Amino acid sequence: MACSFDLFGGYNPRLARLSILNKNEKLYHLPVVCNQCEQAYCLTVCPAKAIFRKEDGIVHIDQDRCIGCGLCARYCPIDMILMDPENKKAYKCEMCQGQPLCVEACPTGALELVTPVKTSSSPENRSNPEAKFAPDDRETN
Amino acid sequence: MIEAYTHTLLMIDLSRTAVETIPVPAPYVREFIGGKGVGAKLLHDRLPPGTDPLSPENMLMFMTGPLTATMAPAMRGCVVTKSPLTHTFLDSYFGGSFSPEIKYAGYDGIIITGRAERPVYIWIDDHRVEIRDAGHIWGKDALDSNEAIKRELSDDTIKIAGIGQAGENLVSFALICCEYNRQAGRGGAGAVMGSKNLKAVAVRGSNPVGVSDPQRFTAACKKAFKELEASPDVEALRDAGTASAVEFANETGLLPHKNYRNGTFDKASKLADKGQRKHLWMGSNACMGCPIRCSKIGAVRTGKFKGIVTDIVEYESAGLMGSNLDISDVRAVAHLVKLCDRFGMDSMSTGTVIGFAMEACERGILPSPKDVDLKFGNVAAAEHLIRAIAQRKEGLGALLAKGVRRAAEEIGNAAEDFAMHTKGLESPAWGPRGVSGMGLAYMTTDRGGCHQRGFPLAYELGGEWEDKKLDPLSTEHKAQLVASLQNHSAGTDTLVKCDFGSFGISTETYAEMLSAAVGREITARDILETGERIWSLTRMFNIAQGLDTSQDTLPKRFIKEPLPDGPAKGHRITKDDMATMLQEYYQVRGWDTKGIPTEETLARLNLTQS
Repeated sequence: MACSFDLFGGYNPRLARLSILNKNEKLYHLPVVCNQCEQAYCLTVCPAKAIFRKEDGIVHIDQDRCIGCGLCARYCPIDMILMDPENKKAYKCEMCQGQPLCVEACPTGALELVTPVKTSSSPENRSNPEAKFAPDDRETN
Repeated sequence: MIEAYTHTLLMIDLSRTAVETIPVPAPYVREFIGGKGVGAKLLHDRLPPGTDPLSPENMLMFMTGPLTATMAPAMRGCVVTKSPLTHTFLDSYFGGSFSPEIKYAGYDGIIITGRAERPVYIWIDDHRVEIRDAGHIWGKDALDSNEAIKRELSDDTIKIAGIGQAGENLVSFALICCEYNRQAGRGGAGAVMGSKNLKAVAVRGSNPVGVSDPQRFTAACKKAFKELEASPDVEALRDAGTASAVEFANETGLLPHKNYRNGTFDKASKLADKGQRKHLWMGSNACMGCPIRCSKIGAVRTGKFKGIVTDIVEYESAGLMGSNLDISDVRAVAHLVKLCDRFGMDSMSTGTVIGFAMEACERGILPSPKDVDLKFGNVAAAEHLIRAIAQRKEGLGALLAKGVRRAAEEIGNAAEDFAMHTKGLESPAWGPRGVSGMGLAYMTTDRGGCHQRGFPLAYELGGEWEDKKLDPLSTEHKAQLVASLQNHSAGTDTLVKCDFGSFGISTETYAEMLSAAVGREITARDILETGERIWSLTRMFNIAQGLDTSQDTLPKRFIKEPLPDGPAKGHRITKDDMATMLQEYYQVRGWDTKGIPTEETLARLNLTQS
């Protein structure tokens, strides 16, 4: 609710950039948040090059560039890209400038902000198929 | 601007398949705020006296409040209708996610009248409303039909309120399942839905719900969250839901055992949190936006009933389907309650009805069904009756499906002496013989004998209320106590709050959240006064529907038979006790000696129009 309020000035979990997956009569409930995928399909499929990754690893959508085609939402494996009902553009979790409102609102501590520990398989140590969409490249394109 | 109210009611007439929206009349909002109050006002103004609750004319309303669907913690929605069980006003509350979805779809409430020619369900997708064929779903239980509808509409995030076979078969205490493990449980709202040939209402809402002053609202919500965290009652609920009340009720002699004959049960701890933790629970569950997470979820893993997913066996079900039937295997009780959930029938009333049947059979005034030994402690007998009642099978199932009051009338032979109900609503799992104020609450609650419109026993056993010393057995101060708690309950049920939230959140904080949400200054005092107004309005409604003071009473067992065990052993609530408390209560309310609100009271509460 905190997330939808930030975006639209009103509450509705359907509009939020995260969701809770319920299964088996609510025996299971799993928070689903954007993984900021290493191989982000949303970023790969965007025909307008509106989706890019910042240095901190977070995948952003440039609202000015987005053409609202919805391909990113279609190919996100966990439905974490939504389409704004008003301007029809795509939006996703960009981690609230490092201070996620969902984490702040969570009463149980189920949501936490963690920093990944770099290992030998970190993106910078491998050839990264997304490298061409790195922010600097995007600026020069 | 996005607001806390949508100011819109969705009206659906199933006889004419007509759908329209109407604005919520401004005076209703001003005088009655939302949920219970606006629902009561609509019912009072629009439902003619004497309307058969199962006729097309009855109104079935799903109401929200101004704080439903917002960040305000622990909120719910309510069903308002005329009860087929009591023939009085009925408000029945449900948590979960269904009520927020109504607001997200753009409505403060949904009002359903008429009767469809054949089984249907209603599909509300924001402003698009469709009445769809439910022929292929009719006959399925509450959970299977929920799944079928989600599959048909290709979206498992849709929120659904629906009935099982009990509602279809007009069982007087059928409920409305508001998925999952959340129900508008008491009073037979499911039968009203079934009488309309309405299997389910499915809703998807995509609109945001806003507040008038976001900054002030956020601050008020933070305060509410803090108050919840500071409450030891909330902490106990978070730890063990209402299951820990089983041991408390047993120690205080209030736990029904063998159709309320006794107030203690030597195997109580098996049904309590201890037993449930061991055999059932795996995790916690919360309603949308609630930090309390009182509900525990798990599965029966071993034994005869293994394989079922089960919610917590909350106190009332543990008391009425367990202890009251002399059943101590919590897995068996979970199984019986789950059967009720699937058939869509109130496990509280079902437990009381089965307890009644077991006693009647033991007394020899009711024949036992073939091949089943209908006696206390027999799980198979309880299961047999649940199936028979839900499907109105055999003479006995059809008889008990009418509720304990009418079943006792038909059986005769002094069966009334042990039929546990007030105004037809089967008694809750708190025997009142050791707490006279609780008795008065049952006598005077607008929807019949109910523990949720004021729970004075907490103060009675605590020994004080507002600096007054209280003796649980005495009648002193009980009228003021009960009326005050009822006003608080009705006033906050308009928001629509959950009772457990109000264990922590102060009336002042509710008022602050409300004022910030709706952009109008509403004080704690206003909330309590609104509650008082609603209480006299529902009284007027009930009187118009034929209720009189003779029904403000208790089951005969509580009046005539002294409690045989527990700390209040030997006590009962005598006719004199009842008369004393009742007259004092009428006086506190400004009602005359027959329990009718006086002209002055109606004028003071601005109810003269009503």
